[in-house]
Amino acid sequence: MELVAKGMEVRIGKKEIVKDVSVYVKNKQFVGLIGPNGCGKSTLLKSIYKSLIPQRGAVFLNDVDVLKSPEKKVSQNLGVVGQFNEISFNLSVQQMVMLGRTPHKKMLESDNQTDFAIVEEALARTNLLEYKHRGYLSLSGGEKQRVILARTIAQQPKFMILDEPTNHLDIRYQIEILSIVKQLNIGVLAALHDLEMAAQYCDYLYAMKDGEVYAHGTPKEVLTSATIEALYQIKCQTYTNPVTHGIGFAYGL
Amino acid sequence: MIIIIIYIIIIFREKSEILSNDDLSKLGTGKRYYWFIFLLVGLILLSVVYSVSIGQVNIPFAQSKEIVLHSLTNGMLGSLDKVDNESYLNIILQVRMPRVIYALLIGIGLSLCGTVMQAVVQNPLADPYILGISSGASLGATFAILVGFGSGAYLLQMGVAFGAFAGAMLTSIAVLLLSSIGGKATSVKLVLSGVVIGALCGSFSSLIIYFANNAEGIKTVAFWSMGSLASSSWDRTPIMAIVVLLGAALFLFQHRVLNTMLLGDESAVTLGINLSAYRKFYMMVVALVTGTMVAYSGMIGFVGLVIPHITRGIFGTDHKRLMPGTLLLGGLFMIWADILSRTIIHNVELPIGIITSVIGSPLFIYMIVKRGYNFGG
Repeated sequence: MELVAKGMEVRIGKKEIVKDVSVYVKNKQFVGLIGPNGCGKSTLLKSIYKSLIPQRGAVFLNDVDVLKSPEKKVSQNLGVVGQFNEISFNLSVQQMVMLGRTPHKKMLESDNQTDFAIVEEALARTNLLEYKHRGYLSLSGGEKQRVILARTIAQQPKFMILDEPTNHLDIRYQIEILSIVKQLNIGVLAALHDLEMAAQYCDYLYAMKDGEVYAHGTPKEVLTSATIEALYQIKCQTYTNPVTHGIGFAYGL
Repeated sequence: MIIIIIYIIIIFREKSEILSNDDLSKLGTGKRYYWFIFLLVGLILLSVVYSVSIGQVNIPFAQSKEIVLHSLTNGMLGSLDKVDNESYLNIILQVRMPRVIYALLIGIGLSLCGTVMQAVVQNPLADPYILGISSGASLGATFAILVGFGSGAYLLQMGVAFGAFAGAMLTSIAVLLLSSIGGKATSVKLVLSGVVIGALCGSFSSLIIYFANNAEGIKTVAFWSMGSLASSSWDRTPIMAIVVLLGAALFLFQHRVLNTMLLGDESAVTLGINLSAYRKFYMMVVALVTGTMVAYSGMIGFVGLVIPHITRGIFGTDHKRLMPGTLLLGGLFMIWADILSRTIIHNVELPIGIITSVIGSPLFIYMIVKRGYNFGG
């Protein structure tokens, strides 16, 4: 599925957080969104997945007008892994992942064998089968994040939005999460804060600064010393990592 | 009866071992769940019969059973031939039956509203009264008792119930409006609005009491606020039954939305459910059910807070399983609270609100200390 967000403008109070931003994700592309804290990444994503109402702009997922369609219809195609996933009541991991089936169910419909099979598969993909009956609240941050990813996979979306999915996670969990998402082979728009990860996993990057798109292109085109210095207000030298042959970064103030 | 209580304790202990570790797999799963529900229904029926057999006149359990069966099945089961005394029939059917039905309905209603409100505001501390309904109802009742609505015969008779109901509905509408100012009604705004409106109503009640020159009336207000089932009668039962049972029937089928509510607004939207609208609708239903209960029986605290937590400890948080369990457990709890309030001191009827807190608190402490239950978490 292709995602087109055109001319997005979001104001919270009097402050313009997102100013006329357009993002385009081609079929099955993994697109990254980078930029310093407070540049409007999360706000842009929220306005795309209907959590915030943008002042202006249009979002299309193939031919579905996201902003004008009911939540249910959008959620059948669009899965979201958000930043805050704290709950105050304990659900088992299986119940939590089963909630991902909600968009496909009528109010009174029961969960059937197919749903359980889908949940089982999502748990297997995220290496959570052994955690099935554990309480969600007893899990570590990385495990919780995997559960949320499993829930989004069980949703069987054709497009996925991730808002800093690897925040606060150890390197192993970071790689795991992004690899699982990559293997799904669907269109992805992800806000990422780790530039090396972005370079490694993304096909295309949008760099945001002060609510505007500062640069966009392939990771090689965007992740240059000049752009990074302008984005984050730091000194930066890029190099070719001799081990991975990917882009490496050396930072300093 | 003692055997049944011991049995319950054994089950609770057995469950407590399961729950002390982190494995939720045995929480009311499979056949165990239905067995549990069946057990609860059975206990409720037994408790109803026991409840109607005790009081000023003690009626033998076997005879109460015949009378209850006879009246419930319209004469199909149970025979009145075995009943020694004609008056037993009257005592049970006219005096004690409405009361036990009242207790059952209020137990169901309070635990229903408690479970729903805890999901609506995503807060384990929520109870049916959290949206200022309690203080609104108190204000209405205080006004009715100490100031009055005028001299209309009908209003005078219905005064307190009407005042409490009106107060409850007005405050919940005010809370809803206040929390919707400036965008969506989030759970934090709801709780805060509830507290603010509650404080306002509380101070008005105090004002009325301060200026009231009516010691008898002030005593009535105090007694009302402790909760009582003494006003039970057949002619009031239908309204309460309809409101409570319709509410229960509605929420028994809302488990999908209630479950997603636990995740918060943002996650719920991405799962295709716009919580804002559901939240308002649920709160109106809860306000209606709670308002009706408060109007007839005053404030009965603790049931709506504790019963949902105890049920979560047994069946887990999934509302599909939680809801039937919590309704039945709530009903059972109230029947026993009523029995205790009538029997604990001979010939004195304690306000039932005192009893619910007196049994509820230790039960809750036991859960936290012994079973490591950390408020749904």
